[in-house]
Amino acid sequence: MNLNTKAEAQNTYDAIVVGSGISGGWAAKELTEKGLKVLLLERGRNVEHIKDYTTAMKKPWEFEHRGRLTEEQKKRHPVQTRDYPYTEFNESFWVDDLDCPYTEVKRFDWYRGFHVGGKSLMWGRQSYRFSDLNFEDNLKDGHGTDWPIRSKDISQWYDYVERFAGISGQNENWPALPDGQFLPPMEMNCVEKSVKKRIEDKWAKSRIMTIGRTANLTVPHGGRGSCQYRNLCSRGCPFGAYFSTQSSTLPAAVATGNLTLRPFSLVDHIIYDKESKKAKGVMVVDSETKENIEFYAKIVFVNGSTLGTTQILLNSTSAEHPNGLGNASGELGHNLMDHHFRNGANGEAEGFDDKYTYGKRANGIYIPRYQNMGNDKRDYLRGFGYQGGASRTGWHKDVAELAFGGDFKDQMTVPGVWTMGLGGFGESLPYHENRVYIDKTKKDKWGLPVLAIDCEFKGNEQKMRKDMMNDAAEMLEAAGLKNVKTYDAGSTPGMAIHECGTARMGNDPKTSVLNKWNQMHEVNNVFVTDGSCMPSIACQNPSLTFMALTARAADYAVSELKKGNI
Amino acid sequence: MNRRHAVKNIAFLMGGALSATTIGVFLDSCNPPSDKKGASLFSSEQDLVITELADTIIPTTKTPGAKAAGVGPFISMMMAECYPKDAQDVFVKGLDDLEARSKKEFNNSFAKISAEERKQLVGKLRDETIETLKKDNEQAEKDKAANKEPKKNPNFFAMARDLTLLGYFTSEIGATKAYEYVEIPGRYDGCVDLKPGQRVYV
Repeated sequence: MNLNTKAEAQNTYDAIVVGSGISGGWAAKELTEKGLKVLLLERGRNVEHIKDYTTAMKKPWEFEHRGRLTEEQKKRHPVQTRDYPYTEFNESFWVDDLDCPYTEVKRFDWYRGFHVGGKSLMWGRQSYRFSDLNFEDNLKDGHGTDWPIRSKDISQWYDYVERFAGISGQNENWPALPDGQFLPPMEMNCVEKSVKKRIEDKWAKSRIMTIGRTANLTVPHGGRGSCQYRNLCSRGCPFGAYFSTQSSTLPAAVATGNLTLRPFSLVDHIIYDKESKKAKGVMVVDSETKENIEFYAKIVFVNGSTLGTTQILLNSTSAEHPNGLGNASGELGHNLMDHHFRNGANGEAEGFDDKYTYGKRANGIYIPRYQNMGNDKRDYLRGFGYQGGASRTGWHKDVAELAFGGDFKDQMTVPGVWTMGLGGFGESLPYHENRVYIDKTKKDKWGLPVLAIDCEFKGNEQKMRKDMMNDAAEMLEAAGLKNVKTYDAGSTPGMAIHECGTARMGNDPKTSVLNKWNQMHEVNNVFVTDGSCMPSIACQNPSLTFMALTARAADYAVSELKKGNI
Repeated sequence: MNRRHAVKNIAFLMGGALSATTIGVFLDSCNPPSDKKGASLFSSEQDLVITELADTIIPTTKTPGAKAAGVGPFISMMMAECYPKDAQDVFVKGLDDLEARSKKEFNNSFAKISAEERKQLVGKLRDETIETLKKDNEQAEKDKAANKEPKKNPNFFAMARDLTLLGYFTSEIGATKAYEYVEIPGRYDGCVDLKPGQRVYV
């Protein structure tokens, strides 16, 4: 054996998984549990479960800036500072924007976390199934291409991932929001219970309100502790009480003895072998040493996040794939979507002054989509759902503007007004022209060309936003809330951190990148199961669907491998 | 991604405890960063004024006030580290104006006049600030109508008050004595009877 073949043998695995976030963690778990030797690549540092959640147990006064950011931090994070997620509380979980620039043809707020676990550490944990209404919308109204699957293809996989991840929630038998395998639901507070009843009465159950379905454990599950109701999830949970790569999929993968995790491994491109017409492996840039290293495998799962994955595929060019790997359709990079949100209504609840809540519930309520269903017809396509909740804070109605002094202080310390808010999450259509491409004029810290993003919301979304505000106010008023006010704080693609599309699934290789098994039409040992695979975004939070698609694709990939088809 | 925080932030923008002016300063990444580091932004006399201003906003009542909770030094540090240059300049000028006014009306430094006199001065400052913010809002509405980016004007009293509330209610004294701090609630109970004297849980 000469040196080269020896090195090659050392760097060869059964499967490579690119990215260790929500979907990459699932791919690693499923593939290792099926006996494959797996290399899990992560571009950032390692974050060890519990040990590296350095702020998780800090008290409010132990944060020097009490959660706020220094000018120095703002300077290095011009994108991450555009909205609320990036704070002193979990500062180290967010990307340094100056090291990792991108080009905004139009404004796109790209929130990224480069470390083992990815955004599974900071995610919102809301977990909702897609329904056939969602899988059929593209076909029905002609926007985008038809989903190659329906509920019957994925429901057993939703069951499977829900059982393992631990999703708490309430079954509702609502057509647009399939039920699932839930742990006991969290409790609504007294105002929410009242609002639920009045909305469901007024609309005769053609609108419903349910407790949020969330990947927080309401009872101990799978060796993990249950939620302690601190509402500090985004710092990492020392009780392992919400689903993350670290708390859930990574330990399962490690337990098989089949996993190799390699942090600081930035994938430059997928190596294509023109003889076999397969991917041979990946070329990695060690993000600490900048050394180039090749790794090889029979199967490659690309789970680098919606845009991270597409950037790798676009950068994987060869004579046979001049416009990016598996991009004969020309659709790679196109049909980028995100939810539009940040509007709705708030109001004040009266009659509950003698009631209060104990504990901090990291969850709210959910009103699933009811528009453009049954007799509900709107002047735009598709629809929206609401997240929201009621709470009682130290704010009091009779406080004068910019009040100060002893009376004001004492008043602030006793529970004040009950408020309830509803915030819409709207579906955006898959527009071909909403796209990303490689911008060769700009390079990141590691010398890789950056991504350019050209994406905007259009008329259908703008029309929907009016209803998102007005329906929220209408429901709150019907529920008896007072002083109901609508708001629209504006929404730019990227802000919801639900970006989907750019490497869509489909039945036709001429119009899609992946088949119904998330397998690349043209290169059959490459699978893409993160948000980039989505032909439409629906209005539900998408991560649970990434999990189910990943487990399903891994099962198929291994069976094809065993059959000798890959 | 935590939507409850998003909703809360929007609630702030809509007139919660923190003023939109200060939020605007935080979100504005276009301002040149300051080169001032540490607590060196203010003279020791100015630090005393800040401490007394904070204690006028949150004085000792049945629970200790801002001075006991160390809010003055917190504000000095925050202004130096977490605000852009234009906001720092406005803050320094605001302190100078307050001090000049104190000397003119009460013949002494703001740090040395009585609590009642401080309350009078801060009351006037508050009333003027309300007027200024009203005008700023009207202008912002006009700008928005004309499709112009509304200008965000940092405001001395609004910043001082916001930082006082933040610094006090997140301090150990504020969180445990004024509020009721529960580190690990362990459960959620969505409907409990409000006990007499119940303080806000944090």
